[in-house]
Amino acid sequence: MTPQRERRGAELVAKYPEARSALVPFLQYCQAEDGYVTDQAIADAAELVGITPAEVESTASFYSLLFRHPIGKHVIQVCRTLGCMLGGADELREHIRTRLGVENLETTADGAITYEEVECLAACDRAPVLQHNLEFVYNVTPEKFDSLLETWRRESPAAALPAE
Amino acid sequence: MSPEKAVREVSVTIDGNTFAVPEGTLVVEAAKHLGTQIPVYCYHPKLEPAGLCRICLVEIEKMPKLQIACATRVADGMVVHTSSAKVAEARRGVLEFLLLNHPLDCPVCDKGGECELQDFTMSYGPGESRLTEPKLHKPKLVDLGPTIVLDEERCILCRRCTRFDDEIAQERTLIVEDRGFKSLISTRNGGAYASYFSGNTTEICPVGALTSKAYRFRSRPWDLNHTDSVCTQCSVGCNYRVDTRFGRVMRTFTRENPAVDDGWICDRGRYTFNYLYAPERLRAPSIKRDGGRVDVTFAEAAVLAGSKLAEAAARGRVGVIGGGRLSDEEAYALQRFAREVLGTNNIDYRTHAQVYASPSRFGARLTDIDDASVILAFGAVTPELAPILDLRIRRAVARGHAKFVYMGPYRPAFTIETRYVKLQRGTLPKELDDLGDAVRRGAGQPGGSDVATIASDIAAAKKIVAIHSGEDAPSADAIERLVETLQQSGRDAGILVVGATGNARGAEAAGCVPNLGPGYAPVSGEPGMTTDQMLAAAADGRLDALFVIGANPALTFPDGALARRALKRVPFLAVADQVMTETASYAHIVFAAASFAEKRGHTTNLEGIRQAFAAAVESPLEVRTDAQIIGALTLATRRGSIGDDPTTLFAELNAAESAPRAKTGGGALARPVVTGASAPIAVPDGALTVIPIPHLYAGGGAAAHDPGTKPMRPEPYAVFSPSDARRLSLDEGARVKLSGASGSIEVSARIAQQVPDGSVLVLAEMPEAPHNLLLDASGGGWANVEVIAGAAEAAG
Amino acid sequence: MPIEPVLTKGFGSLDLTDLAVYRSVGGFAALTKALREMTPDGVVAEVMASNLRGRGGAGFPTGKKWSFLPKDGRPRYLVCNSDEAEAGTFKDRMLLENSPFNLIEGLVISAYAVNAKRVFIYIRGEFLAGYRIFQKALAQAYDAGLVGADILGSGYSVEIVPHRGAGAYICGEETAQLNSLEGKRGEPRLKPPFPANAGLYGMPTVVNNVETLMYVPHIIERGAKWFASIGAEKSPGPKVISVSGHVMRPGNYEVPLGIPMRELVMELAGGLRPGRRVKAIQPGGGSSAAIFEEDLDVACDFDSLAAKGTMLGSGAVTVMDDTACMVRCALTINRFFETESCGQCTPCREGGQWVHRMVARLEAGEGSESDLKILTTINRTITGTNLCVLGDSIMPFLSSVYKHFPEEFHDHVRLAGCPLHARSESAA
Ligand SMILES: Cc1cc2nc3c(=O)[nH]c(=O)nc-3n(C[C@H](O)[C@H](O)[C@H](O)COP(=O)(O)O)c2cc1C
Ligand code: SF4
Ligand code: SF4
Ligand code: SF4
Ligand code: FES
Ligand code: FES
Repeated sequence: MTPQRERRGAELVAKYPEARSALVPFLQYCQAEDGYVTDQAIADAAELVGITPAEVESTASFYSLLFRHPIGKHVIQVCRTLGCMLGGADELREHIRTRLGVENLETTADGAITYEEVECLAACDRAPVLQHNLEFVYNVTPEKFDSLLETWRRESPAAALPAE
Repeated sequence: MSPEKAVREVSVTIDGNTFAVPEGTLVVEAAKHLGTQIPVYCYHPKLEPAGLCRICLVEIEKMPKLQIACATRVADGMVVHTSSAKVAEARRGVLEFLLLNHPLDCPVCDKGGECELQDFTMSYGPGESRLTEPKLHKPKLVDLGPTIVLDEERCILCRRCTRFDDEIAQERTLIVEDRGFKSLISTRNGGAYASYFSGNTTEICPVGALTSKAYRFRSRPWDLNHTDSVCTQCSVGCNYRVDTRFGRVMRTFTRENPAVDDGWICDRGRYTFNYLYAPERLRAPSIKRDGGRVDVTFAEAAVLAGSKLAEAAARGRVGVIGGGRLSDEEAYALQRFAREVLGTNNIDYRTHAQVYASPSRFGARLTDIDDASVILAFGAVTPELAPILDLRIRRAVARGHAKFVYMGPYRPAFTIETRYVKLQRGTLPKELDDLGDAVRRGAGQPGGSDVATIASDIAAAKKIVAIHSGEDAPSADAIERLVETLQQSGRDAGILVVGATGNARGAEAAGCVPNLGPGYAPVSGEPGMTTDQMLAAAADGRLDALFVIGANPALTFPDGALARRALKRVPFLAVADQVMTETASYAHIVFAAASFAEKRGHTTNLEGIRQAFAAAVESPLEVRTDAQIIGALTLATRRGSIGDDPTTLFAELNAAESAPRAKTGGGALARPVVTGASAPIAVPDGALTVIPIPHLYAGGGAAAHDPGTKPMRPEPYAVFSPSDARRLSLDEGARVKLSGASGSIEVSARIAQQVPDGSVLVLAEMPEAPHNLLLDASGGGWANVEVIAGAAEAAG
Repeated sequence: MPIEPVLTKGFGSLDLTDLAVYRSVGGFAALTKALREMTPDGVVAEVMASNLRGRGGAGFPTGKKWSFLPKDGRPRYLVCNSDEAEAGTFKDRMLLENSPFNLIEGLVISAYAVNAKRVFIYIRGEFLAGYRIFQKALAQAYDAGLVGADILGSGYSVEIVPHRGAGAYICGEETAQLNSLEGKRGEPRLKPPFPANAGLYGMPTVVNNVETLMYVPHIIERGAKWFASIGAEKSPGPKVISVSGHVMRPGNYEVPLGIPMRELVMELAGGLRPGRRVKAIQPGGGSSAAIFEEDLDVACDFDSLAAKGTMLGSGAVTVMDDTACMVRCALTINRFFETESCGQCTPCREGGQWVHRMVARLEAGEGSESDLKILTTINRTITGTNLCVLGDSIMPFLSSVYKHFPEEFHDHVRLAGCPLHARSESAA
């Protein structure tokens, strides 16, 4: 474990009565650093909270915001639940898939953008909704998406899925 | 033993029958009183209720929803219906959901015939199937580790397997991955499910999702004959069933004895039967001739060996080594053979570092571990030497009421939280006496030292179990003194000694030691020679014949150089074994001995329980039981007659030992004599102290040749501390030569934090690299280290 | 019957994420009152008297829940459920982002009432912005001595620990949330034991929703009588209801419980687009059975909706007008439950997946009458047979709309596609 990670791990553990509670926050921290949850992060987490790597894997695999494989610098998560569907999310999703040339949970060929269809994001009053690197974008139309995509492509965010 | 709390009985009505059960009984268990079976998948009596599969839903009056019988506890006046229309519908539903993506490949499934999905579908399933739904396909042959294969399509996600690994084995390497309908059983990311207990998951898996590599497609359950037997691979003596077909052992299966095995067996026990059919299995006696070996008939071998042994006996220059792998009856016959036929007390079952197998006082039971507050282990690496005993320790510690303390020269990898105390060679007696003093003085010790910490653990303890490896006689006495002190202080305390071989305790009780006859009765006349004395005598030319039966001292005796010298030098060596061991390879005559599956009798486990096993299959034509070998040798010597019928021998043994045992009047049992004790050894400058380490799959006999356990068998290795590794410039995986006072071996290097600086842990009992070439008779030794090839080179 | 907003007062005009602003509108007066003038039991009694019912979905009386904690000296925990992920619900996120100090005040008073020394707030992983806002507010509150040691010199100390989720709707279920907080898979636990006895780390624990806890300071400040006087008799008080779907003014509305659905949808939320009629409404999130045009006069409270065979749930009203295809609407709901099932229980895991497959087939024009036949009976083996309530949520919407519009489902089979021809138009 890098000293920095060890330090952050210790801080997280200190927040809870039992070390294991720091598991997911620690993995989120590692994911923000490395881009995804690496094998090293699994090993580090196991060591930090005192459980087996397999237990870390089991827990990590439960949560949809933890990725065990490399993902893009941009993660676009588009809501597909009822409120957004009524607001045109099906058409939006189709547009985005064609536009990016990917299916659900795939990453663009250049590795830059990971696309995911997700469930209700608690913003149904401004449907259809998506999150780009966990930031909300409301009332998304295909045109709005295209122009945002231009902007995103020019940016290089520090982490697709920030921990803090 | 703590008195059970009085349990209140409550009245429950199930399907119209009212009866009383203890308060807190699960509905599913209460129904069993009536003989009513409520179907279950995720529920297993040994596991915590999980309530996942939902097949066990029942109707309980006054509750609006159906309730799960596997997790609902009866309350007074509860009225339960287990087969109402509502219940039947829910069950049908669950089965329908489970069958939705189930491959229904029953005809080729190992579980066919004992599958609970098949059974319950027949009894409660949807009659007219509406399962036209296309099935989702999943991997069918997932390799989980050296023993187990997973068929994801068949898995019903009841999680018994992962819960077993979590709650019982507590190893937590088998997991549920992902969630929802994508959930699957896995080790994730390449890790192997390499538990010593893995085979149990194939039994508790209610369907054919987990199967043993050793059993896949071997036979169908309904074709199998079952024989009740007892595992003799270690001294725990787990009860198991031997399943056979056409006179061949197909598999072994648990046969629960709550007091011994709690319903589990380890993989060594489960899979070590395939050697019976391996080419290395001895199928006929052989004699050394013209530098090679030729097979002879049993009669021929017996006549030849009998006359040689008789000649040596006539000169009083004969010895018998073995007994710890025989049945109780055979061990008894063996000591009669030595004493009555060969006229010598030169008999010893002890062929390992172990010097005794029965605590002379304060013997504990395995079940004492269950409610112990402190478990003290001395040199006994229970995960490797007595796996199912180790499970009991794991459970006691996991339940939170037991502390586990281990004292030994290095820290073995225990699964559970361990308070470790590092011991220098020969210092255990003093540590234990100090501990006894501390206990006598009472709590509130000046803290800090190990002794003080353990004393404070003990201060709060009601019950203490001490577990000894049986090595080193002064330690044995010190343990008994400590336990006496604990008892005097009003605590419950007892001792378990882990046997080096499956029937070490039975052999000791039957009189296979130089100074004691059956029932620990001191022999009349001079005690005979111990194993080390016999080997020394043979090596010096003072013995003319040795008979070694069910033992491989060349590999197991601490002083390997001496053992080999003796075995090679003795003018006549007869060996009886099941496979060609190193010891047998030196023999003039080798007898092919029957396995436990091929004979009947009794075996005594480490706590002294005598358990019966029956013959499951017949042995090959020229193979004989050890009793038959002893009987035939007796006839050939023309010096008496010892029958080979187990029933008669057993009656004789009982008669012989009851008298002297009664004489002890409940007092101490006599101990076998020992020579020497573990004293500090002088290690030359630059050399490392050798500490042998046991491994479940090590050994030079059956285990070395068993196709069932070979995949789990490690390559010989030695473990260095990181700083010694640095000093010697060796990396993990390097090939090294270890040279001691009287020999050298080549092994691959491992590096681990637990190794004390200045020591090297050497995997014991590996025929490819015998650890005992580095040791003396007291089990001490040192080695100089030479790197032969770097890690990369060794790998290439 | 609009009321003066309570939690949402000042939203849109005041920056309540500023401690000074929150104070200027009377913030933390309730905390002072509770700590200085009331005993913990007094706070519990007041909340009990108000008959505040949980705003997280189940509507359980909050004071009663608090009173279940055994007084046995073990540490106790308060967990604030901010995992809001029920389809259609977006009130907690708004409350968290706009009024973090109201929440902090509620947390401290409630923790004081149940004598917890540590509070965890479980914030949905997707609410990164809300998490940041809360973190910032919390730091200010610590600095101001409103959280931490010896609050306002009362001798009472409490720590608040925000904890981010990582993507799992089921972690909104309270026992799953506790597992998740313990660093485990977010799978619901078998009950009993209930959290009041063995919750977080096996200790007595109270789990309450964000909105529930935010009302606590107002009840303390204005009194239980005031609260109980608002809204329906058995579901008193104001409640924030999220309205979305085919309405002109989707958004959160803080209304007295018991407000007629018609008023909420047709007046507050601006009604439907011109010429459109109500086809179906989910009154309590994705888990709830639909009500229909003829039900518009139902009162929005726990008991009235339950009497209609549906529920108020978390207070999420999703309106579907006559352009909406019921099969497609159901598809989004059943896909949701397939994705979000934790997978422990057979009926929820396998049945939920099967239902989703059948509905997806129907929607794609590939369904069959035999699928429809199965869908009419499958609720009997899926509903009420699982470990947690998620399993019971799979069927209500589908069953209700199928029952109400059977021809629309059969037409999907007959026409091998949607009878509404064009895909449903967007509300935009
Ligand atoms: C599947 C499922 C999801 C839930 N999600 C939430 C949620 O996101 N937020 C919430 O407050 N309660 C949720 N609940 C309800 C909680 O289990 C619990 O009842 C609630 O947090 C208690 O708080 P309250 O009494 O203040 O309402 C959910 C329940 C279930 C069964
Ligand atoms: S592999 Fe067998 S025991 Fe394990 S979850 Fe699947 S069905 Fe159950
Ligand atoms: S623990 Fe020992 S007796 Fe039991 S199964 Fe394993 S080897 Fe056999
Ligand atoms: S009902 Fe569904 S979500 Fe709830 S515990 Fe069972 S499988 Fe998990
Ligand atoms: S349905 Fe998309 S945010 Fe709620
Ligand atoms: S056996 Fe009861 S739920 Fe599985």
